[in-house]
Amino acid sequence: MRPVPAGPEGHMEAVPVLGALSALVVASEVLGRLGLSLFLPAFSSVAAVWWQVLVTGPLLPALLKSLESYVKGMVPAVAAGVVAGLLLGRYRWLGEVFDPFLNMMMSAPLAGFIPILMAIFGISDTVVVLTVFLFSFFIILVNTRTGLQGTPRSLVEMARSLGATDVQILTRIYFFAALPAMMVGVRLGAVNGVKGLVVGEMLIALVGMGELLIRYGNTFLINHLYAVILTILGLALTVSLAIQALDRLAIRWK
Amino acid sequence: MRRIPSWHAVWGLRAAALILLFWLWERAGRQPGAYGIPAASATAAAFWQLLTSGALIAAVGTSARSFVLGFGPAVLVGIPVGLLMAFVPPLGRMARVYLDVAMAVPMAAVVPLVILTLGINVAAVALVVFVFSMPFVASNTYGGVREVSPRLIEMALAFDARRRHILFKILLPGAMPMILAGIRYGLARAFVGLVVAELLLAPFGLGELIADARSTFDFDRMFASVLALLLAAVVVISGVQRLEGRLLHWRQ
Amino acid sequence: MVPDRAVMASERDVALDIRIQGVSKSFGSVAALAGVSLTIRPGEFVAIIGPSGCGKTTLLKIVAGLVAPDAGTVAIGGTRVTGPGPDRAVVFQDFALMPWATVLRNVAFGLELRGVGRRQREEVARRIIARVGLAGFEHHYPHQLSGGMQQRVGVARALAVNPKVLLMDEPFASVDEQTRRLLQDDLLDLWAEERKTIVLVTHSMDEAVYLSDRVVVLSPRPARVVGEIQVDLPRPRSSKTTRTSAAFAGLVEDLWGMLKEMQ
Repeated sequence: MRPVPAGPEGHMEAVPVLGALSALVVASEVLGRLGLSLFLPAFSSVAAVWWQVLVTGPLLPALLKSLESYVKGMVPAVAAGVVAGLLLGRYRWLGEVFDPFLNMMMSAPLAGFIPILMAIFGISDTVVVLTVFLFSFFIILVNTRTGLQGTPRSLVEMARSLGATDVQILTRIYFFAALPAMMVGVRLGAVNGVKGLVVGEMLIALVGMGELLIRYGNTFLINHLYAVILTILGLALTVSLAIQALDRLAIRWK
Repeated sequence: MRRIPSWHAVWGLRAAALILLFWLWERAGRQPGAYGIPAASATAAAFWQLLTSGALIAAVGTSARSFVLGFGPAVLVGIPVGLLMAFVPPLGRMARVYLDVAMAVPMAAVVPLVILTLGINVAAVALVVFVFSMPFVASNTYGGVREVSPRLIEMALAFDARRRHILFKILLPGAMPMILAGIRYGLARAFVGLVVAELLLAPFGLGELIADARSTFDFDRMFASVLALLLAAVVVISGVQRLEGRLLHWRQ
Repeated sequence: MVPDRAVMASERDVALDIRIQGVSKSFGSVAALAGVSLTIRPGEFVAIIGPSGCGKTTLLKIVAGLVAPDAGTVAIGGTRVTGPGPDRAVVFQDFALMPWATVLRNVAFGLELRGVGRRQREEVARRIIARVGLAGFEHHYPHQLSGGMQQRVGVARALAVNPKVLLMDEPFASVDEQTRRLLQDDLLDLWAEERKTIVLVTHSMDEAVYLSDRVVVLSPRPARVVGEIQVDLPRPRSSKTTRTSAAFAGLVEDLWGMLKEMQ
């Protein structure tokens, strides 16, 4: 199995991100005021609509609904992904059997599975939850597995020589040795999970922020559309930065 | 105690897993009304029918056109952008932030915007594909150049290399693994963009096939179309991986 | 000064002298070199030794033209050093081989940069590859070679450009001891054929005394020349005759005495 795909490169720092986004805000304000195009509104008008839609409109319930689906999908993905990753890393034959399948799942456009899920589960938010799960589970699995495979032999031999059982070695040595890679996997998985969330919601067009995107798109409400896009942007960045912070707390020995 | 599995055992297990999967699929499909899944055999039949009727080819053609129109520019723009970022460090630091954000954000959210601006056509799908994949190509190119060992650059300087020598004989070959990886990820992301765009811009290419079949509740066709799409993506990406391995044969 | 070390006319074709005068270099607030002065005769083999981090490598880089000194000058064969040049070549501690290129291409790299035609440079490269004992490995890639073999490639590359001055930065520090001894003897053989000026930076007292005509000792940062030891051991040298001689041991101990004082 190939080593962990790097995908979005490493860390984002909060300050430069805020700086870059502020620059974009300023640019959009300037360009928007110029009235160049219907599709380039000024930030202030978007902000105004955003506030309105949030407080009196459907944005807040949609956001909460999206978060609900997200958590319902992510939590099992993390748990299952970590456990599966540890197992597939620990028992090499297991890993080898599933290798081609994993390779496939990592390179295939997972959004393609959504119509299949819709056929099985109908038009419901279960599809969204499963999509979030799909989008993050494999990434977490692969990263955890790679992390475990990188455990220094000497640590394992040391534990064995002190009489540790297989389970003890798994939980006390392998788990912690794999932890840094695991956290990378969780972060990448969480970010991808947000993508799954949005795509899923857009395709079933029933609930959540994805539905709002479709709705406003269909009704040509540009400012509203931007407002939702910005909210989603905020969500994605918050998730990414939050997990980075968690990462730093969890792994202080690095 | 760790037994190294024999080659036969591994393939035997894989075959067994696949057979089990197909069997379950066939059973699930035959259950009346319980799941909306067509049986594996029905899907295969539908796939064959699609293939022979030419519908699949036509749809693939449209999709392929959008794909190339989107991914081609993504590479042609992404690599120079990454190179530029590496050679102008202040620009690189700034642009890198935007790229990181672009890679972390659900790009699917911009699709309605694209539809509003460009309508429902090849250009719209191509733009979505471009936007999904370009940041990855650029970011990996940037990273690849930055990671070229400074010792190698120093060595070349010691042998009196000029700037263009450093660029073409050290930086580009040294960055090649990551640039190729960037193209590979970009490719995977381009497929995602294609799928998302086509599913959302319903009457279009493979997406049309899928949406069409779904709306007529012809699940056989729908499944077949989706799986065709997924398989195509996997095949192309594996092909690129193999090519990558060939080009980078100097790595251990 | 031993008569057969006198500068002969033919030597000037092969080697040049090096005059280092008052060279100083700081990196930010850290002073690496403070007024280093040293003269190296053509065809002389000089080892530079000193405590870790004392700036030996920086000095070498300045002579190579990779780093500009803050003060002082370096002249090679009477010409001031202002950048890298065709009269010098460097051998690096970590080999610095291009992993994507074959041995042949790596060795020919210096010539490639100078615009020498492919056939010609490959011919030169093949000759030198044979001379360093790597015949048959022309189309191998670095990762297929052991550390010792990789360094031979590094040496071959340096020799391929026919430099008058060979600068070696702890060239054998990254290989195991047995390989190191083989490489040292090979270096002496190569040098016996063409007496270039060699400046070798090393950590190893053994190596410094075994290989060189003169060992120059640098102080800790900011480095200055604090002493030197003339190595009058007869040539050709070998492990059997030289390393076992009392003179050798004495010189190594003298060197240790000087270094110990600085710890």
